[in-house]
Amino acid sequence: MNNWRVDGKGRINRDKRVRFTFDGVSFEGFEGDTVASALLANGVHLMGRSFKYHRPRGPVTAGSEEPNALIGTSRGGSGRFEPNTRATVQEIYEGLTTVSQNKWPSLNFDVGAVNDKLHKLFAAGFYYKTFMWPKSFWDKVYEPVIRASAGLGVSPAEPDADTYASRYLHTDLLIVGAGPSGLAAALTAARSGVDVVLVDEHRELGGSLLSEAPTAIDGKSAESWLAETVAELNAYPNLRVMTRATAIGYYHENMVGVAEKLTDHLAEPPATAPRERMWRIRAQEVILAQGALERPLVFDGNDRPGVMMASAAQTYLNRFGVKVGNAAVVVTSHDSAWYAAFDLADAGVNIAAIVDVRASVSEHLQAEARKRDISIKLEHTVTTVLGKKRVSRVKLGKVSEDGNVSGIGTVSCDTLLMCGGWTPSLHLFSHTKGSLHWDAENEVFLPGEKTERCHIAGGGRGLWSQQAAFDDGVHAAQQALASRGQSAPALSIDVDGDRTGSGIIMEELPSNDDKFARRAFVDFQNDVTAKDIRLAVREGMLSIEHVKRFTTNGMATDQGKMSNMNGLKIAADELGRPAPKVGLTTFRPPYTPTSFGTFAGYHKDALFEVTRKTNIDSWAEENGAVFEPVSLWRRARYFPKTGEGMHGAVARECRQTRASVGMFDASTLGKIEVVGPDAAEFLNRMYTNPWSKLAPGRCRYGLLLGEDGFIRDDGVIGRISNDRFHVTTTTGGAARVLTMMEHFLQTEWSDLDVWLTSTTEQWSTIALNGPNARKILEPFMEGADLSAEAFPHMALRECTVGGFEARLFRVSFTGELGFEVNVPSEHGRALWEILYEEGKKHDMCVYGTETMHVLRAEKGYIIVGQDTDGTVTPVDAGLSWAIGKKKPDFVGKRSLKRPDMLLPTRKQLVGLLTEDPNVVLEEGAQIVEAGDTAIPAKMLGHVTSSYWSETLGRSIAMALLEGGFERNGTSIDIPMPEKTHRATVTGTVFYDPDGERINM
Amino acid sequence: MTFTTTVETLPTMGRYNLRCKRENTVALSKSLGFDLPSSIGEAARSGTQSALKLGPDEWLLTCPMEERATIRQSLTDVYPEAVHSLTDISSREISIRVSGDQAEELLSTSCPRNLAKLSTGCGVRTIFDSVQVVLMREGDRQFRLDVWRSFAPHVLGLLAVACAEFESGL
Amino acid sequence: MLLIDCPYCKEKLPELEFEYAGQAHIARPEHPAEQSDAEWRDYLFIRSNVRGDHAEQWRHTHGCGRYFNAVRNTVSDKFIATYEIGQPRPTVTKEGEERDEQLES
Ligand SMILES: [Zn+2]
Repeated sequence: MNNWRVDGKGRINRDKRVRFTFDGVSFEGFEGDTVASALLANGVHLMGRSFKYHRPRGPVTAGSEEPNALIGTSRGGSGRFEPNTRATVQEIYEGLTTVSQNKWPSLNFDVGAVNDKLHKLFAAGFYYKTFMWPKSFWDKVYEPVIRASAGLGVSPAEPDADTYASRYLHTDLLIVGAGPSGLAAALTAARSGVDVVLVDEHRELGGSLLSEAPTAIDGKSAESWLAETVAELNAYPNLRVMTRATAIGYYHENMVGVAEKLTDHLAEPPATAPRERMWRIRAQEVILAQGALERPLVFDGNDRPGVMMASAAQTYLNRFGVKVGNAAVVVTSHDSAWYAAFDLADAGVNIAAIVDVRASVSEHLQAEARKRDISIKLEHTVTTVLGKKRVSRVKLGKVSEDGNVSGIGTVSCDTLLMCGGWTPSLHLFSHTKGSLHWDAENEVFLPGEKTERCHIAGGGRGLWSQQAAFDDGVHAAQQALASRGQSAPALSIDVDGDRTGSGIIMEELPSNDDKFARRAFVDFQNDVTAKDIRLAVREGMLSIEHVKRFTTNGMATDQGKMSNMNGLKIAADELGRPAPKVGLTTFRPPYTPTSFGTFAGYHKDALFEVTRKTNIDSWAEENGAVFEPVSLWRRARYFPKTGEGMHGAVARECRQTRASVGMFDASTLGKIEVVGPDAAEFLNRMYTNPWSKLAPGRCRYGLLLGEDGFIRDDGVIGRISNDRFHVTTTTGGAARVLTMMEHFLQTEWSDLDVWLTSTTEQWSTIALNGPNARKILEPFMEGADLSAEAFPHMALRECTVGGFEARLFRVSFTGELGFEVNVPSEHGRALWEILYEEGKKHDMCVYGTETMHVLRAEKGYIIVGQDTDGTVTPVDAGLSWAIGKKKPDFVGKRSLKRPDMLLPTRKQLVGLLTEDPNVVLEEGAQIVEAGDTAIPAKMLGHVTSSYWSETLGRSIAMALLEGGFERNGTSIDIPMPEKTHRATVTGTVFYDPDGERINM
Repeated sequence: MTFTTTVETLPTMGRYNLRCKRENTVALSKSLGFDLPSSIGEAARSGTQSALKLGPDEWLLTCPMEERATIRQSLTDVYPEAVHSLTDISSREISIRVSGDQAEELLSTSCPRNLAKLSTGCGVRTIFDSVQVVLMREGDRQFRLDVWRSFAPHVLGLLAVACAEFESGL
Repeated sequence: MLLIDCPYCKEKLPELEFEYAGQAHIARPEHPAEQSDAEWRDYLFIRSNVRGDHAEQWRHTHGCGRYFNAVRNTVSDKFIATYEIGQPRPTVTKEGEERDEQLES
């Protein structure tokens, strides 16, 4: 094996061999290899099939910008498969399993490759045009076929078995990128003593220093300079280095999201280690030292395996000790590829020719090429690549001044290295909405106006050479410190043998072949060709944003890192306008594809969201309750006995409560303590009801409207003392009501001496309802008289129940004799168990929210949010009695006089009794006029609540019905898919209309 | 580094929410027997009692459970001349103590505040994940979180997962 | 994630502690009963939809609990100024001017 390894090159650990598999075949590499470098070392270039045309593809880069070499990886076990992993990023470890994607039945023979033959069908905008007709063909034929044959890897079907983490970090200075600029900045800043965080996406620091042939830095070999620098940086207590950590997004106020990979390179990760961690780093200053990305050239066959960025070949050689081929042709418009050619030539690769589209190239470079016997072809171009699964030959041509190309024959090679210049990596800067300005001379977008406290160093500013990058890094650190009012001594890092250079940017490489027949790729991952972009412009896409969406150029997982500038140049050329006038599309986070798990962080399984439980919840769980979520709470819905379903349990709970007594955990009700001399006045202004005359020791139903006059909440409010009220709200409304009260208090009525404190969780609340309710409580009352005379309906008192300090309310949400006992939260379950024991003497049941709903519906008590929907006034809900008529004002009062609020045709809350008493209507069902069979029928309203009433032996329902009050006694229809049900409109009180039971 | 930071739930303690207008703080301080702190985030202590200022007109008073009645009585006595709101919230919250070398970093897993800026003896209302908490720095390496009772399992669950993460060393 | 300068806490704190509370400087009419239908409609529903500096209410919900006013630029999202309830809207220079001075050099 390892024919392609070069002795003495690379930073891999040759003492540690690592075995992994690719498509079931076992391969060997070294510690420090990526899947791509290890496969290349084994002579494998073909690593995937393309998105649309299923063309064979190999790695074109050696980094995170890779569009082609996407593989599936398995971390072992169920839920640990990941599609679309970049082979150029994934490090190998013992036992790693990888597979190629988007092929069937195999990577070498792929049926879907027929798409490539039909490429004319898949031209830009094919989705929008080709499949327009006939309509029915879209979902039945075209879409399934396209979906099946185009695409990236297969989504995993199992839940992700790994865990993920997150962390906030605050620092003076964040440096993104640890190449020459980043390292120089880090050294400068760390030495000055400020807190620094340095992040880099690779496994080790160094950036381009790891990829270049050794220069000498500060009189040392680049390798030892880097080792010493890393050691120095690691020794600073004020500097934190993070590797395998990608800055994926730059957010407001210098917050940068950094996704750190923790275990994807480990064969045996520690048991409780998260796979990845999302850092939210808030920095006073940020230095972006992300360098530049090499641009591909656009020519026919530029996507064939073996065609690669020149710098990638250099990286594979110098960082991984791998030569990507034996015989290479270099095609370029920039000096940098010449250096790559020299490095490869010096490592024994036969460089068949350097083909440069430019007319003049520095004499120095030409001399270096001649020294290595490399044939120089200036003003030449590559017109076509031959070979399908690997480059075999390239066609060359001479470019004359008028752009005409005359073929000069073919050259055999197994590798074609290309370089179309360098694009500053300004993705993160663009996330900040920082503007880009067009440097016309160098034809490049550079950072313009900033919106954040950030500084850009090195390649990001269009600088190209190690010395320039070092100097700029030092400068950026000085600037960053200066804007904090600090200074740092200049640091000089001297590079000996630095490589400098320049280049030009091209559209497609010149060719005499038909522009529209060439398979010259711009976006490799989305299979967008130069032809597609030109076609888009011809079809009227004038803005680059339209071109992008029409062609999907730059919309793949690589976010157009390689395709953006080429796409722009070609669109600009077709439009005949300068590039900056055509504009650049917007870069959005994340910079590189990021696992969903990393965004989710700790929020999975039990921690997915907060689940609130009362103190009594554990008893309910132990006693077989079935639960339901109510806002963030989980509440017991019913307590089935052996063999009972929901219907049976609820019917029994209803019977027992009406016949004897039932106990209910009402702790989730919102509670607000309203205290101060103006407490009553405040409640007068907030609630529709009057409060001034409510005596201490008494309580009253309170109705809360929004300023728009619609019902927002309700609950019982008790006056504990003159200046202290105990307000209850609905379970879901607790936070909202307190917020609304605070808003009015703080912004409108700051003159009032009153304060609000949430006491929802101060109290556990146990409700006892039923004719025997008093009997359950009485034994535990210390010296308190619960008789109807001493403690009538709507009374309250502070007392002791079962030895616990308590607030006892005589209230009822069932229509039965009712009590609500509030005790300090932590005693809730203890009291519950005491009362439960007592209840055994009286055939008491415990019931849940479902029975509570049925019992209250039998009495016509509304549930805000179920029987109201934000468009219901007190009058609509039949609650006019709750409005304090003499009060000059309360929130929402004025709105009740708005013309639309007074219309008799408003939807009003009514009762419904179905003709067939066994039919329980569906909540939400629509109501139409009786006998209206027209389609569409006029909707008159809908069913809001509907239950089987065990008490009445028939179904009952409530509904919001247009002109409902006037329809009392008439019939309406509820059309359902199986049958139309007829019902009579009634009042909402179905049981004990005179309210005798409540006063027992 | 061995991970030795611990998370523990504390026994119930006496807690009051105290609210009043600025002009009445002097009278209330007098009857409490110590000065209510005047800046948000600051705490004052006297024996077993303490007051942490959470908002412009809001303090969290803490004391042993058995001293609650004393506080209530002394403030009730002064109510006529210095109106205020005193509400018992002892049972509303659960206190969690996080202590150890990595206490601050452990909390930074879910707290967006810059905890380095929270001085010893100070405390603030803030957010931990999606949960509102009162966070106090009891010492260089010791924090207390007061969490509404029903949210405590979520906070404790997050801290447990975070502890396991720290223990892994990654 | 924004940092918001709470005028009561006098500290720039993470956005997660805050909640938006609508447009600022819309006072509840003193005598709602005397409002015409049109006036009351305007109070209830009519809001500006500014592209640029916008005065709005925020609440330091998970902090000091106070509502306060802010001028925020709806294009850049950034806060220009924050001030206590009851204070008039401050006259501030256009968003960016101050900041750019700091950022250049
Ligand atoms: Zn605040």
